[in-house]
Amino acid sequence: MSALELAQAVFDGLLFGATYAVIGIGFTLIFGVMHKINMAYAAASLAGAYAALLILLFVQAPALVVFLLAGVAGGVIGLVIYVCCFRFMPLAAPLAPLMATIGMLMLIDEIIVHATEGMPLPYPALFDNVMLQLGEFTLRGDLLLVFGVSIACMALMLLLLYRTRLGLATRAVAQQPVAAQLCGVRLTRVNALTFLLTGLFGGIAGAMIGASVGTLSPLLILPVTIKGLIVTVIGGLGSIPGAIVAGLLVGACENLFQFLRGVTERDIYVMLLLFVFLVFRPGGIFAPGRGRD
Amino acid sequence: MDFYFGLAQTLGVHTLLGLSVYIVLLTGQLTLAQAGFAAIGAYVAGMLTVIAGWHIVPALAAGSLATSLVACAVAFPALRVRGLMLAVATIAFGEAVRLFFFNFDYQVWKGDIQVGPLGGEGFRQIRFFPENGWSTLEVMLFVWACVALVMAALWWTDRSRAGAVLRAVGEDEVAAQSVGVNLTAVKVSAMTASGAIAGLGGGLYAHYTTHIEHANFTLGLATFAIAYPILGGLSSVFGTLAAVVFIQGFLVEGLRFLGDWRNLLFGALIVLAMNLRPRGLLDAATAARLKRLLTGPGGAP
Repeated sequence: MSALELAQAVFDGLLFGATYAVIGIGFTLIFGVMHKINMAYAAASLAGAYAALLILLFVQAPALVVFLLAGVAGGVIGLVIYVCCFRFMPLAAPLAPLMATIGMLMLIDEIIVHATEGMPLPYPALFDNVMLQLGEFTLRGDLLLVFGVSIACMALMLLLLYRTRLGLATRAVAQQPVAAQLCGVRLTRVNALTFLLTGLFGGIAGAMIGASVGTLSPLLILPVTIKGLIVTVIGGLGSIPGAIVAGLLVGACENLFQFLRGVTERDIYVMLLLFVFLVFRPGGIFAPGRGRD
Repeated sequence: MDFYFGLAQTLGVHTLLGLSVYIVLLTGQLTLAQAGFAAIGAYVAGMLTVIAGWHIVPALAAGSLATSLVACAVAFPALRVRGLMLAVATIAFGEAVRLFFFNFDYQVWKGDIQVGPLGGEGFRQIRFFPENGWSTLEVMLFVWACVALVMAALWWTDRSRAGAVLRAVGEDEVAAQSVGVNLTAVKVSAMTASGAIAGLGGGLYAHYTTHIEHANFTLGLATFAIAYPILGGLSSVFGTLAAVVFIQGFLVEGLRFLGDWRNLLFGALIVLAMNLRPRGLLDAATAARLKRLLTGPGGAP
């Protein structure tokens, strides 16, 4: 075990952490706009990635097309979740959509298990045999691609939120739903579009996870959900830069702990990291003044 | 007949888990730590009867007490955040406990076999009931005696001043605080009580299945636990019981003839149920109507 291997482990984790960051942003955005958590989000993202594999049954599509299709499928699934779990729920019963999205998580999980008979499926990757030598470091080409695409997704999301009319409406609804409605913002439409867009980015993130792991398996759903939620909390609910930094942090720590303590104990330390943040910085990394939820 | 007694045991343990979430939900908090609590109760009670040779009753009490202490210790940092962030914190706690038991070995020789928890293989030979000749019926009655005790205690709490304080915190924290309610004390005590009840449920579970492992206490179990009071409604403890019978009796056992399709239907039915009855199967209005029906017209106090 040398310092070089240690640095390499942290670096690989950092690259993979970008996918956690995208999933974390999805959780945070839906929470920021609706003040409710969509527990089925990570499941929908992976389901989008799965759905994109369907095209390979018909034509030999390049990996890039598969990634884009994953985004489209993720958006559609996000919309379905909005209609089934949020659209008709009374605002005064906050537990109902939470439970409904948990039901949705189980449903999506079961559909995937049914359709694939529980077997992991190989996922197409780009540049998976490219190895960049950077001094003494080795950079895996596929991980670099994952990192690049994830960063592009984040930039696009930030651009959408802060530079377009839709983003303005989304932020208005997040701040003051009633006031936004009085200004002529259609609440249902903005909410539905938020779900569509986060689902779209989620689907791409799901495809990135598939591409970097090499296979997709229903067993990935629960860990990715938990990691995504942890990223959201460490970054601070509703904070997009927080989710980005926290995603990279969790990815790096996860790989570091795996390197130091082995794969069975790895996640214990990730959970402890969350508790450290809860005790010392309950509002997240970029907590605003009043913080907390 | 033993099949139905076994099913009744499962219903009993799940009712305990549901009730342990019920008391936390009354204060308006979410908890998904129930699987972790049940795991602690199960391992502690199991180790006491198997390795230390205790009787089941003190072992269950000790497991329940140990769990409530852990719950109290976790509640302080976790309750610094509210609502959905608390849900995430408790998920992390539950997973950390599960992974702890996944890596936990403590075996001793007893006669010519080794007993005790062994990491991923789990904890075999928790044979207090068979060794002492309890029949399935007796075990079932014992489980339900525990459930009845806990339900009666919670029902009584609901009607006392303590219950009013719990609900006041759940309805509006600021209002409760302004009439002098100590929020932290209320939430931490609710979490401690929740740990005690879930620990008891875990201890009972360990003894009737005789074999526990980390995979029994996943987030899935915690999800079930939180589903019961939400689906049943928070108006009374009987809502939780009704939801346990609906989910475990009807959705899990009753639909078994559907084979693999049952699991698909399961999630869809939960989504449907929440759309039709967002405040639970037994919400306040239904509970009042039932009460009027039972006490006769004009008989309600």
